[in-house]
Amino acid sequence: MKVINFNNHKFQISKEGILFWLDKQIAIIADLHLEKGSSFGPSGQFLPPYDSEETLKKILNTIKDHKIKKIILLGDTFHDKNAISRMSEKVTFLLRSLIEKYEVIFILGNHESKFEIGQINFLNEYVIDNIHFIHEALQTSAFQISGHFHPVATVKSNIKKITAKCLLHTNNHIILPSFGQYTGGLNITNPALKPFVNNESKIYMFTKKSIYKFTSKEIEI
Amino acid sequence: MSDILKIEPIDNWLKKNNWSFYNHQVETLKLSENGFDVLLVAPTGGGKTLAGFLPSLNDLINNKSEKNKLHTLYISPLKALTIDVHRNLTSPIEDQALDIRVETRTGDTSTYKKNRQKILPPHMLMTTPESLALLLSNKESKDYFKDLKYLIIDEIHVLVNSKRGDLLSLNLSRIHSISPDCKRIGLSATVKNKGTVLKFLTSKNKAKILNVKETSLPKIEILETKTRVPWSGHMASYAIKDIYQKIKKSSLTIVFVNTRAQAELVFNKLWQENDNNLRIAIHHGSLEKEIRRKVENLMSLGKIDCVVATSSLDLGIDWGDVDLVIQIGSPKGISRFLQRIGRSNHKFDEPSNAILVPSNRFEFLECLSAINSIQNKLLDETREKKGSLDVLAQHVLGVACSEPFQVDDLYNQVINAWPYRNLTKTKFLEVVEFVKNGGYSLKHYEQYSKIGLNKDKFYAINNKSVRNRYKLNVGTIVESYMLKVKLGNKTLGQVEEWFIEGLNEGDTFLFGGRVLEYQSISNNNVIVKSTSHTHPKIPSYAGGRLPLSTELSIEVRKLLSKKQFWKNFPNQINEWLKLQSKFSNLPSLNGLLVETFPRLMSGKKRFFFICYTFEGRNANQTLGLLMSKKMQRIGYKPISFVATDYALAIWSINEVKDVNIVLNEDLMLDDLYEWLEETPLLKKNFRDAAIISGLIERSIPGQKKTGKQVLFNSDLIFNVLKKHEPKHLLLEVAREDSYRGLIDLDRLSEFLKRIEKNITHKKLDRISPLAVPLILEINRQTIDKSEMEEYFLEELENEMLSEVGLN
Repeated sequence: MKVINFNNHKFQISKEGILFWLDKQIAIIADLHLEKGSSFGPSGQFLPPYDSEETLKKILNTIKDHKIKKIILLGDTFHDKNAISRMSEKVTFLLRSLIEKYEVIFILGNHESKFEIGQINFLNEYVIDNIHFIHEALQTSAFQISGHFHPVATVKSNIKKITAKCLLHTNNHIILPSFGQYTGGLNITNPALKPFVNNESKIYMFTKKSIYKFTSKEIEI
Repeated sequence: MSDILKIEPIDNWLKKNNWSFYNHQVETLKLSENGFDVLLVAPTGGGKTLAGFLPSLNDLINNKSEKNKLHTLYISPLKALTIDVHRNLTSPIEDQALDIRVETRTGDTSTYKKNRQKILPPHMLMTTPESLALLLSNKESKDYFKDLKYLIIDEIHVLVNSKRGDLLSLNLSRIHSISPDCKRIGLSATVKNKGTVLKFLTSKNKAKILNVKETSLPKIEILETKTRVPWSGHMASYAIKDIYQKIKKSSLTIVFVNTRAQAELVFNKLWQENDNNLRIAIHHGSLEKEIRRKVENLMSLGKIDCVVATSSLDLGIDWGDVDLVIQIGSPKGISRFLQRIGRSNHKFDEPSNAILVPSNRFEFLECLSAINSIQNKLLDETREKKGSLDVLAQHVLGVACSEPFQVDDLYNQVINAWPYRNLTKTKFLEVVEFVKNGGYSLKHYEQYSKIGLNKDKFYAINNKSVRNRYKLNVGTIVESYMLKVKLGNKTLGQVEEWFIEGLNEGDTFLFGGRVLEYQSISNNNVIVKSTSHTHPKIPSYAGGRLPLSTELSIEVRKLLSKKQFWKNFPNQINEWLKLQSKFSNLPSLNGLLVETFPRLMSGKKRFFFICYTFEGRNANQTLGLLMSKKMQRIGYKPISFVATDYALAIWSINEVKDVNIVLNEDLMLDDLYEWLEETPLLKKNFRDAAIISGLIERSIPGQKKTGKQVLFNSDLIFNVLKKHEPKHLLLEVAREDSYRGLIDLDRLSEFLKRIEKNITHKKLDRISPLAVPLILEINRQTIDKSEMEEYFLEELENEMLSEVGLN
């Protein structure tokens, strides 16, 4: 676990890509994209239909070791409006047990914005102690924790380049990596992420085994 | 002869040109007339193609076959070859005003022409395995092929034992079910396992091999240069001046190289030498089609003096009167080299001329071995490969696209294809399930099934879009994602995406023979501008580097192990080997020479462990990985290794005392299976299998990376699938391909068996002469390419040479 200070609060990052606010017993996770795999089914591409199961199990396994009461999902929890109807029994069961065990806050993501999904109550924004939990970061001075961009970063050594998911921490922003099994990434060098990357930025890269901290100078920008 | 042949027009045409039939051409016709399928094995320039077409021409001329029916199908592995053969065949047809329509159909054919071919089929159609698969997936395919009388497969030896061959073989079997009386003629270059090629061609008992012996051996020499053959490297820059002189003396030269990067560099260097303004062109697979066509045309018109080419010009294309072939770097295999030599002097009874230019010292030995092998008529053997299941999956869907099929019928048709002869029914059904809905134990995709049983219990596609999607994904070659290179409004060609990703704005690279400056990527185009720089950063394209063949490797070891062969070597090579034998040992024919010595590396003492295996880069790479693993476990603390075609060098913190334990076969193969699961190689092969089998679709330009996130990548699927269904069909395919391909498992285990109890370990106190090229290679492979490189290598080389006493 790596510790970050954000608006005078202490947060911890797990190597799986979950942000913990342990003082408040909160776990924060972005972009699950549940049932992304099966969303390609209608077009005849039959991806292994086990992504949602993997994603949910990983959440349950990671947070069970901490005292957590609340989970904030930062949007794009479901890949599309029919995601729930495509879920297998096992996935439905896992999702239900997550909701029963914890108080789950669903922030509204762009993948969910135009329709109703089940009985779920989506919020545009959730605020605790002046920290705003939203899907897509805004270029304002408010303290924000968001997802949406699926940031990845590239470091280059003499021999090879390594690209991995990352968490971006800049002044008043924390942008989380996407958590879903089948989610890809957007490099932090992309113009869309430029407003949130500067010399002060800290970039936490996730590998299978660990988290590595870089400053933006060490990253290819 | 003409009364046997009864094909006067062809006869007349030959006479007009002062030609006459070769015996084997008449033989082919006779055999075919008597109902045989024929495999014609002949060296290039033997009038093979005409022999292949004679039976069909004869039938068309004498039996006035029905109009508007496809009579003859010609299949070649190369698009360019279909065009070339089309042109060659049109010449007698036009000359004698025959009523025979010949057309080509490839990926480059316009939709208009394709549609016209549908309505009005030509008598003879020339196509590729992929275009054939597409044709057969049409709803009308049965009707289209039912009157087919002749099937000619050119360069068939290239297709056997490959995924493309699998696809072709399945479709041949399908054609057989549509028109069982169609006669087949296979045309092959000289190969070792002719029997297999015949079986691949046909399952009929009434089949014969016609073997045409070479009448004259080619004249091959190694280029004599004033400069010494360098210790390491692959670019042969040292020889450019001498190569240029040879080009000057010939009327049309092809300079063959092994990789596209080499092609670019050699082309560039030749132009720097070009004081006489010779017309030198370049030809390789990533250049834009129009540019390649232009070069080919100029060649056939004799308006060019030299072409620098990769394997894109390997096969039987006859683009003019080539009188000299120069091969830069070792050809890596005997058969491949013969093919290339055959490009010169395309006349059967005259010897071809070739010059070999080794790019380093080991390659000198290799080139000499290649010459010996050719003089002794040795050939490479290809390992047999069983039909791949991802290709079968693609085929099953293709069949369903053309018409509903019954499982048993299709199974019988499939096992009639040579590569699939041992396929079990269970496996076949597994493939059908996969095509249907992914073949998962979790039934998630029932509702979206691509194929389903109709009321007659036949499998049919569930909607038309399945067919359209199938058509976009046909083929067994999965290439890296390509981007177009644009200079202003002009498209110069394509380049792999990963190559461009490694560039920064302002970097220069060689492409299409000129130095370009990279600017940006926009809309899937690489925007470049011209630059005055002469020293570019060279594109390092993937592929093209074949490993040293087993047969050639034996020859090299023979050459090394017997001193009497050395007298013909140039002094520098002779000296090098003599010193090696004094200082250490020479590799033996059947054993393994291992050397260990300490050496400073970045100021620290390291222990080097060198194995002179001569088993090719792939097997050596695998061996290196496995040995490192083993050394790690024993506590030798290996740091890294480097593998070439000839040897492997591992360096470690602790000294390896017992080399036998490290090289023990059983222990090593245990590690292999475990290790493979974690390699990028397996992931890459999984991606290819996923695309070929249709699980994920080929990226179509314009559809990619448009939004904020990339589409799913196959690595993610791979990890999830491995966890949930480790025995899934596609993982099975990926594993098999990995063992066969880059890992070269068969070769590696044969090697380990061969050297067991036959290892000579030389413990040295410093680097040996034979190890020098290898240590230089370490720096080539691991040091960042910068302007300092050459200087650095030179300094290092001198340092090392004085260390072993060669300087």
